[in-house]
Amino acid sequence: MTGVPSRLAAGARPRRLGAFLRLDPSALAWMAVVAVLVFLVVSPLARLLASSFQSPETGAWTLANYVTAFGRMRNLEVLGTSLLYAGCVTVVAVGFAVPVAWAVARSDMPGKGMVRALILGAFITPPYLGAIGWILLAGPNAGWLNRAWMALTGASGGIVNVYSFAGLVFVTALYAFPYIFVFATDALDRVSTEMEEAATILGASSAQTTLRVTLPLVTPAILAGAIVVFLDTVALFGTPAIIALPARIRVMTLQLWQYFEYPVRAEVAAAYSLPLVGITVALFWAQRLILGRKGYVALTGKGGSRALTRLGPYRWVAFAYALLVIALAVLLPFAALGQAAFSTAWGQGFSLGNLTLQNFVRLATDANARDTIGHSFTFAAATGCLAVLLAVVAGYVVTRRLMPGGFLLGILCMTPLVIPGIVLAIGFYATYSTPPIALYGTAAILILAFTTRFLPIAYVNAVAGLRTLNPEMEEAVRILGGSRTRAVSRVVVPLLKKSLIGSWLLVFIPAVRELSTALFLVGPNTRVISVMMLDLSENGSFETLAALGFVLLTVTIAIVLLGYRLVGRDFMLRRS
Amino acid sequence: MTWTRRAFAWTVLLGATAPAAFAQGAETQLYEAAKAEGQLTWYSGILDQPICDKVGQAFTAKYPGVRVNAIKTTSQVAFQRLTQDMKAGAVQSDVFTTTDASHMTFLERKGELTQYLPENARNLADPLRDFGSKGFYQVSWVGLVALVYNSSKVKPENAPKDWPDLADPKWKNAVTFGSPNFSGMVGVWTIAMEDKYGWDYFERLNKLNPLIGRSIDDAVTTLNSGERLVGTGNPATALRNAAKGNPLAVNYPTSGTLGVLSPTGILRKARSQNAAKLFMEFLTGPEYSRILAEHYEQPLRTDVPPPNGAKSLSDINLFVKPVDEIERKLPPNKEKWRDTFG
Repeated sequence: MTGVPSRLAAGARPRRLGAFLRLDPSALAWMAVVAVLVFLVVSPLARLLASSFQSPETGAWTLANYVTAFGRMRNLEVLGTSLLYAGCVTVVAVGFAVPVAWAVARSDMPGKGMVRALILGAFITPPYLGAIGWILLAGPNAGWLNRAWMALTGASGGIVNVYSFAGLVFVTALYAFPYIFVFATDALDRVSTEMEEAATILGASSAQTTLRVTLPLVTPAILAGAIVVFLDTVALFGTPAIIALPARIRVMTLQLWQYFEYPVRAEVAAAYSLPLVGITVALFWAQRLILGRKGYVALTGKGGSRALTRLGPYRWVAFAYALLVIALAVLLPFAALGQAAFSTAWGQGFSLGNLTLQNFVRLATDANARDTIGHSFTFAAATGCLAVLLAVVAGYVVTRRLMPGGFLLGILCMTPLVIPGIVLAIGFYATYSTPPIALYGTAAILILAFTTRFLPIAYVNAVAGLRTLNPEMEEAVRILGGSRTRAVSRVVVPLLKKSLIGSWLLVFIPAVRELSTALFLVGPNTRVISVMMLDLSENGSFETLAALGFVLLTVTIAIVLLGYRLVGRDFMLRRS
Repeated sequence: MTWTRRAFAWTVLLGATAPAAFAQGAETQLYEAAKAEGQLTWYSGILDQPICDKVGQAFTAKYPGVRVNAIKTTSQVAFQRLTQDMKAGAVQSDVFTTTDASHMTFLERKGELTQYLPENARNLADPLRDFGSKGFYQVSWVGLVALVYNSSKVKPENAPKDWPDLADPKWKNAVTFGSPNFSGMVGVWTIAMEDKYGWDYFERLNKLNPLIGRSIDDAVTTLNSGERLVGTGNPATALRNAAKGNPLAVNYPTSGTLGVLSPTGILRKARSQNAAKLFMEFLTGPEYSRILAEHYEQPLRTDVPPPNGAKSLSDINLFVKPVDEIERKLPPNKEKWRDTFG
């Protein structure tokens, strides 16, 4: 009995003597991970920053690149359009994601597994393919929806035009909302019913409870997802290239491309995109302001429980909304793409004679294509693991204030997302292909670059998850003599298991379809799907491209279903 | 009888190959030196990865012991990589092919290219031969710009025959083409059309509310979907799709088809100089042109027949624009384009 306090005292003394004098091994591990992280993010960014202040001819320091980038009204206007575009996409994406997330996590809506899998399936659709799907649906002259409308009403023109600002926002949001969906469902899964029950006892209706108790509790997660969507949209090239350009809408990434055409000015591109880091900082600051000092702890050591809200007949309303979102994101565009994937010549339209499985057979029998698909999935899986590991460590260090300068570390983890891929890729190539880490041509270079690029997603989710954990549980481990590593591996990780799988998926999926950095870093033996898709789109093999889209969709849905099965039954879900 | 037939066959064979193959002695010498280097790396901004691999394999089959690492990306990315490699003092590629000829003139001015005039280049089609006459680079791909239309919605007799037909008011809401801000080929097209018809040509096109895509090939996709009916595109892409049964057809404009030339050069600081020279011989030789034709691309030599449905370079009234003119006129044209099309 007396052994316990004395052991406690013994354990406490060295800490008081100063953590810097006698670091325990776990602290060293933290610092090592943080150092790796700083290296991964800081070195490519530092190279870009240096080049943005240098003259490409003489190497002398100059501000000329910034003057070229921002000295014209037109470029500033374009930047403004990009921010407006990203803002609108974020709002629409929240509207798609939050109601469906709530229905999936907290209600007795039918068909939840299918909804979840299809939403993540939508997410893997490369923006290029999703945008083409929507052009086939909502093209003003030949779009399916417009032709159907004209046939039904006898009208002379269609009703929807994808080539508009609204069309651009809508299509982008359809392939970005899964970020918020995953973040929000994970958080909702952790909110215990006790607080909701308290509200009900105090006379609140279930709608009031949801709006005033449940949703506010998951604000950090929704905000985190919204920030990711916003930053990702600012840096997005694929959808704007297909939709904004014909609609004559000019956004920043399209302007940026000009600096890579003759006359090539990569330094100006760096100067034009680096100030976007400021947007990341501003968003973080806004997030702090919104979240304030309120507490969002949902998981304490007391073993909460959770009951589903019974919606009665309204569960069919919820289901109808979820179905609508899925139809817009997956079912309709893939029906349009299916017309191409299953036909010999997609321009002929649907007919029995035109039906074929040849495009799939070609993919399955071509050894090159098989290797390429295999590369993408393995590289992306490795990226997911590495990014989640780094993010959990960094998030833990920041939220538990284990090191000074946590806010800076947080910003650092967030910056890679907002820098457009093509610019970031130059920094990656410069860092990873030259000594001391001359990794060009290996799988490692792709995995490292993807990890850096998508770290923000994993980081944001890790922090949102950690905020909901009461630190008292980890302190209990420490008091009982366990190390930090033990507290994290035995308490934090198991409690956040589902959230970590969500993070993993949210890194895995974009890593499968990532193009701009891959294009710079692939070698002859490390080709990935996105690069193959570019080839297919450039030589006009749209049928094979659409078939590849279907393969991606199916494999992802399978991985998602398997992933959630592996996590097992929701431990907080009490059947009543 | 047998003897004469065999002799005849040999005569024909030698007659056919003599102009194609370059001087035997020089080739052997180059090949021996290339074998010592063992391999070369080719940064390609043209074709796609599988075709580039095929070219590399065909080269190795002809010259065993010399391997080709073909790396296909976009020309812009390949050039960026090259610039980074040069900055780091470690040039990774021996041979570089780009769709943007100004990359080559830039490298030439910087003294980064090896001068080598391949023997086989003598047998390239006329306008292509002149392009690389100084020996710093050679044409490896011709992107043609012609008129393309949706053949299920437009009858051949109604389809545009020459450039001005595209601006006919009857094509209101039916025209599509790419943008010079994203496609070098479209950029050269703006220069060619301005020279022929003045910038007013584009003002007239703008009145038709054209759908402006990014690359030259976006037009082919848009036409195939039926969203638009007529446009400018690369016949290679259109014919490759038409061969599968898609409703696409090509008209080579009567007043002349524009050719945009994509050059290949040897990097002076590259390791495998001899293998690179041998590869230049291969790219100007008949085997490479045959591979191009197999994939519906335009062969560079008139002694290799064009793919099905396509015309030979000598039958399309081909015209090209010199690089210095492109470099001079492209930047102002991009500005004018923004003023006209927004």
